[in-house]
Amino acid sequence: MMDILITENLCKTYGTGETKVDALKNASFSVAKGEFVAVVGPSGSGKSTLLNLLGALDTPTSGKVFLDGKDIFTMKEKDLSVFRRRNIGFIFQAYNLVPELNVEENIILPLLLDYRKPDKSYIDELLDVLGLAERKHHLPNQLSGGQQQRVAIGRALATRPAIILADEPTGNLDTKNSRDVVSLMKLSVERYHQTLIMITHNQSYTSFADRVLSVEDGVVTDLEGVRK
Amino acid sequence: MKSYLSLASKYLTAHKKKTRLVIISVALSVALVTGIFSMLDFFLQFEKIQQIHEYGNYHLGVKDATNEEKQAITSRMDVKNAGTWISFRNGNLNGKECRLAAVDQKFAPNMQITLLEGRYPVAENEMILEAWAAENLHLKVGDVAKITFAGNTEKKFVISGICSDYGNTKAKGMPGVYLSIAGANEVNAEKSTGLLIEFKDGININDVQKAIQSSLKLADSRIIRNEYLLSVMGYGKSNTVIGLYSTGAVLFCIILIAGVMMIYNTFNISVMERVQQFGLLRCIGASRSQIKKLVKREGLHITLRAIPIGVLAGMLLAFLCCGILKYYNRSLFGEMPLFNFSIAGTIAGIAIGVFTVFIASSRPAKKAARVSPVNAATGSNEIKISKKKKQGRLTKMFHVEVAMGINNAVVKKKTLFLMSCSIAISIVLFLGFQVFVDFMHSSLKTTKPYTPDISLTSEQGLSNSLYEKLSDLSGIKKVYGRMFGYVDATFHASRLTDAYKQIIGNVQVEDNGLFIPPEKSWLISYDKNQLNWAKTDLIEGELSEEKLNVKHGIIAVAHPLRNGVSIETAALQLGDKVYIQTPDGTKEMTVMAILRTVPFNDSVPSLTTFITTEKLFTELTGESTIRIIDIQLDSSGQEQTVSEIKGMLDDSIAFYDQRQKNAEINGYFLTMAVFIYGFVAVIALISVLNIVNTMNTSVASKTRYLGVMRAVGMSGAQLDKMVLVEALTYSLTGCIVGCIMGIALQKVLIYNFLPRLFTIWKFPYVQIVLILILILLVTVISIISPLKRIKAWGIAEIIS
Ligand SMILES: Nc1ncnc2c1ncn2[C@@H]1O[C@H](COP(=O)(O)OP(=O)(O)OP(=O)(O)O)[C@@H](O)[C@H]1O
Ligand SMILES: [Mg+2]
Repeated sequence: MMDILITENLCKTYGTGETKVDALKNASFSVAKGEFVAVVGPSGSGKSTLLNLLGALDTPTSGKVFLDGKDIFTMKEKDLSVFRRRNIGFIFQAYNLVPELNVEENIILPLLLDYRKPDKSYIDELLDVLGLAERKHHLPNQLSGGQQQRVAIGRALATRPAIILADEPTGNLDTKNSRDVVSLMKLSVERYHQTLIMITHNQSYTSFADRVLSVEDGVVTDLEGVRK
Repeated sequence: MKSYLSLASKYLTAHKKKTRLVIISVALSVALVTGIFSMLDFFLQFEKIQQIHEYGNYHLGVKDATNEEKQAITSRMDVKNAGTWISFRNGNLNGKECRLAAVDQKFAPNMQITLLEGRYPVAENEMILEAWAAENLHLKVGDVAKITFAGNTEKKFVISGICSDYGNTKAKGMPGVYLSIAGANEVNAEKSTGLLIEFKDGININDVQKAIQSSLKLADSRIIRNEYLLSVMGYGKSNTVIGLYSTGAVLFCIILIAGVMMIYNTFNISVMERVQQFGLLRCIGASRSQIKKLVKREGLHITLRAIPIGVLAGMLLAFLCCGILKYYNRSLFGEMPLFNFSIAGTIAGIAIGVFTVFIASSRPAKKAARVSPVNAATGSNEIKISKKKKQGRLTKMFHVEVAMGINNAVVKKKTLFLMSCSIAISIVLFLGFQVFVDFMHSSLKTTKPYTPDISLTSEQGLSNSLYEKLSDLSGIKKVYGRMFGYVDATFHASRLTDAYKQIIGNVQVEDNGLFIPPEKSWLISYDKNQLNWAKTDLIEGELSEEKLNVKHGIIAVAHPLRNGVSIETAALQLGDKVYIQTPDGTKEMTVMAILRTVPFNDSVPSLTTFITTEKLFTELTGESTIRIIDIQLDSSGQEQTVSEIKGMLDDSIAFYDQRQKNAEINGYFLTMAVFIYGFVAVIALISVLNIVNTMNTSVASKTRYLGVMRAVGMSGAQLDKMVLVEALTYSLTGCIVGCIMGIALQKVLIYNFLPRLFTIWKFPYVQIVLILILILLVTVISIISPLKRIKAWGIAEIIS
C-alpha cells in the first residue's frame, strides 16, 4: 500500500535559552493511505505540535513532511493553501469556528474558498449525521461545546479530504456522542478511502484505530503491539 | 499585582502593539485639535498685524471730538494711545491729486507713518510726504510745495520730512501727504476730524464703546469703528465677518467631532475585542463597576501618554506655519517670535483629549460591564445576525472572500458606523475648507496672471507708437492695452435685477420689451491675451476672438463692480440680444459668454460692464486709441526698466506703480494660504494616519480569525482580498457619506453663511476624484503591513 504521509526527522523547538522547549524530537514515521492512526500521550508531550506540523500549520525547526509525495515545506504559500484546503481536513482542539458564520456556512467554508459549489445532498447528510440539521442556521456562540465540536468535524469532512487531522475531536463530548462522532469519522474514512490521524486521550478509541502512535516528551514511537 | 486595577497597566504592557495603536490614535486627535487651534490663534495674530498695517492701529474713533471729550477719553484707564486725525476730502500737491491728512505725532506710528528723513511736521506750514512721491515730484526736505485744497484754497508748505511708501497710495499714484495738526486746523476746507483711540490689551472693546458712548452721550453716527481690526480681535459686527466667523465655528465643531470620533472609534475596537477578557473577569467575581473602573483606568494610562505627544505634534505643525510666514514676509512679521506658544491651542488640545478619552472609554466600559459573564466567556456576543442567510445572497454575487469581507464589515454595525464616520468627517472638513481656498483664489487678484506691475492711463488716449516702444523695451514681460468707453446699451427689461431696480428707481420699458437705459454701460476691449486670461472667471460660453468678431458677440459680466462693490445688476443669459447705440445707429450684439467679474474698478457708476474684442469696440464706438496700458515686468532689473518707462511718458500720462501693493496683497494671500492650506494639510494628514491606524487596529484585532481562515485553506491572496474588501467597505461607505455631506456643507456655507463673497458653487469633481484616489491608496497601504505581519506568523501560533 502507498504511503500517503511520510515524516523524516521532524523536530520542533519552541523558544530559546531558559524557555527553550523541545516539543518534538526527530519524529520519523509513515502512514499508509486509508489508515486510521491514533496518537496518544500525556498532556504537553507534543501531540498538537506534531499534528500542526503534519498539516503545515507551523514550520518545523528541521525535518521534512511528505504528503502525497510532495514536500509540503518547500511548497509555495499559494499552492500550499490550495493543497491544504483540498487534501487536509483539520479539526482543532479549540474548535476555531468563524463566529460570524452560521453552522452550515462554517461547514461549507472550505468548499467556498475553493470556489466549488457545495454538494447539497452531501452537506445535508453530513448535518444529519452530526445531529446539526436543526441548528444549521445558528451561530457558533449559540451552540454548546459539543455541538461546536461537531461543526468543526463537519467542516473537516466537507471537502472529503484525503487526510483528516483531528486534535482531540471528542474532548467535549459525552460517551455516546463521542462514539457516534468517532464512528462517523471511521465511516467517512472507509467510504472515501481517507486517512485519519487523530489525537485522543480516550484509550477505548485506540481500538478503532489501525495503528497507535505514542508521543512522550516529544518522542514519537509506534505502538505496534496495540494493533489488532 | 497589588489591586485588580493594576490589570489595566498589565494589559497595556502585555499588548504593546495594540496599546501603541491606541496611543497613536489619541495623540493624533489631540494633535489635530491642538494644531488647528494653535494655528487659528497664530492666524489671528498674523491677521492683526496685517490689518494694522493696512488700516492703522486704532480700535475706535470719535468724529469731531470736542476738547472735553478728548480729555475724557484720553484720561481713561483702558486707553493706551489716542490722537487726533484730520483728513481732507481731496487735495492737490503741485498739481497732482494727493491724499491729505494730519495726525498727532504720538499717534503717527499707529497710523503706520514711519519717518525716513527729516522730522515730523509741527509748525503750521510744515508737511511730510511719501518717499516715492518725493522722488516723482523731485521734492526733498526743505523744499516748498504748493497744496490746493478743496474749494481752491492754496497754501505753501515746507517739506520737513519724508516718510515710507504706502502700497495703496503708490498703486493709485496718489501721494500721501501729512500736515501738522496745527496746520490742518488752520486750513478752511472740507475735512473730517476725529479722535482715534487704541485701547490696552485685553479690553472688551464693544463694552468700552458702550461705556464711552453713554458717559459722553455720543450718537452712533459719531463713532468710527476700525471694523477690519476689530473683526480679527473678535469684536466684529459686519455681516461678512460674522459669516466668516460662523463658518469657522461650524468647521471647528466638525474638527472637535472628528477628534472625538477618532478616539471613540479606537477605544471601541480595542474594548470590544476584549469582551471575552472582561467576561472572564466577571466570571471570577469582578463587579460591573470594577470592570468600568478597569476600562477607565486603561483610558487614563493612555491619556497620560498620548496627550503630551499629541500636544507637541500639534504645536510643531503650527510652528511650521509660522516659520513659513516669517520666512516669506520678514518685514511684516519680523517681530513675531518663531516659537510662539499658543495657550489656547494647548489647552484646547488637552481638554479635548481628556474629555474624549473619558467619554470614549466610559461608553465601551459600560458595554463591557453589561456583558453577561457566560456570553462573554463562550465567545463574542457582539454579532447578532438574523436567521436570514445574508451570506448566502452575497456568496451568489461574489467570490466567497469578497462576500466575507463585506459581511465582516457590515455585521459589526457599530464599527462600520464609527470607521466610516471618521473617514466621512475628514472628507467633510476637507470639502468645507475648500470653500475658503476657493474664496481666496477668486477674491485676491494678484494671484491672477493679468495683474499688472505698472499701469499707464491717459484721458486723451495712449498712442500706438508708445505701445510698440514699450513692447520692444527689454526687461518687460508683457504689455497689453485696453480701450474703454461708455455706451448706451439696452436689453430685455426682465433681465434687470431687483437689486439694480432698487438703486435706480423706476426704469422705463418700451413696447418691444427693451428698457430705456437710465445709465450708460461700461464697454471694455480685450485682446487675445486678456480673453485667454479671463477664462478663469468664465461662467458660461466661449471666449474666442474670431467667433466674437464673426457673430457680433459681446461678453457680459455677472458681478461687475459698482463703486467698488460687487453687485449683480443684470442677469443676462447666453444668446440674449444687447442693443448698443453707436454713431451709426443701433447695433445688435449677442451675449456669447458670461464672466463672473472683471478685475477693474470704475469711478463712474454704470449700468453694467460689457467686454468685446478690439475690432468690435472700434466698430461700436468709433474709437481706436488705447486708454490704458498694463505692463508686467521681468523679475530682475526692474528699477532700470521703470525709469526707462518713465522717460517715455509725457505729462498727460498717469503712471501707476502697483508693485508694492501687489506684493502686499500677495503677502496677505500668503498669510491666508499658509493657514488655510495648513488646516487642510493637517486635516488630511491626520485623517490619513487615522485611517492607517484604525485599519491596523482592526486587522490586528482579527489576527486569530484570519489564522483560522488560513488553517481552513484560505490562500494568502484570498486573505488579502478579504481584508481589502472589508477595509474598502469601511472607507467607501465613509467616502460616499463624506462626499454627500461635504457637498451639502459647501452649499450651506456658500449660500447661507457667505453669500456676500459671491463665490459660485461648482460640483467639486476634481476634489472628489482626488479624495477617492487618496482614500483607495491609503486603504490599500494601511492593510499591507498588518497583513504582512500576520502572514509572517505560523498559523498554529495564532490559533492555538
Ligand atoms: N507556541 C509555543 N511556544 C512555546 N512552547 C510551546 C508552544 N506551543 C507548545 N509549546 C510547548 O510544547 C510542548 C508540547 O505542546 P503541545 O501543545 O504539542 O502538547 P499536547 O501534547 O498537545 O498537550 P495536550 O494534550 O495538553 O493538548 C508543551 O510543553 C508546550 O508547553
Ligand atoms: Mg494538544
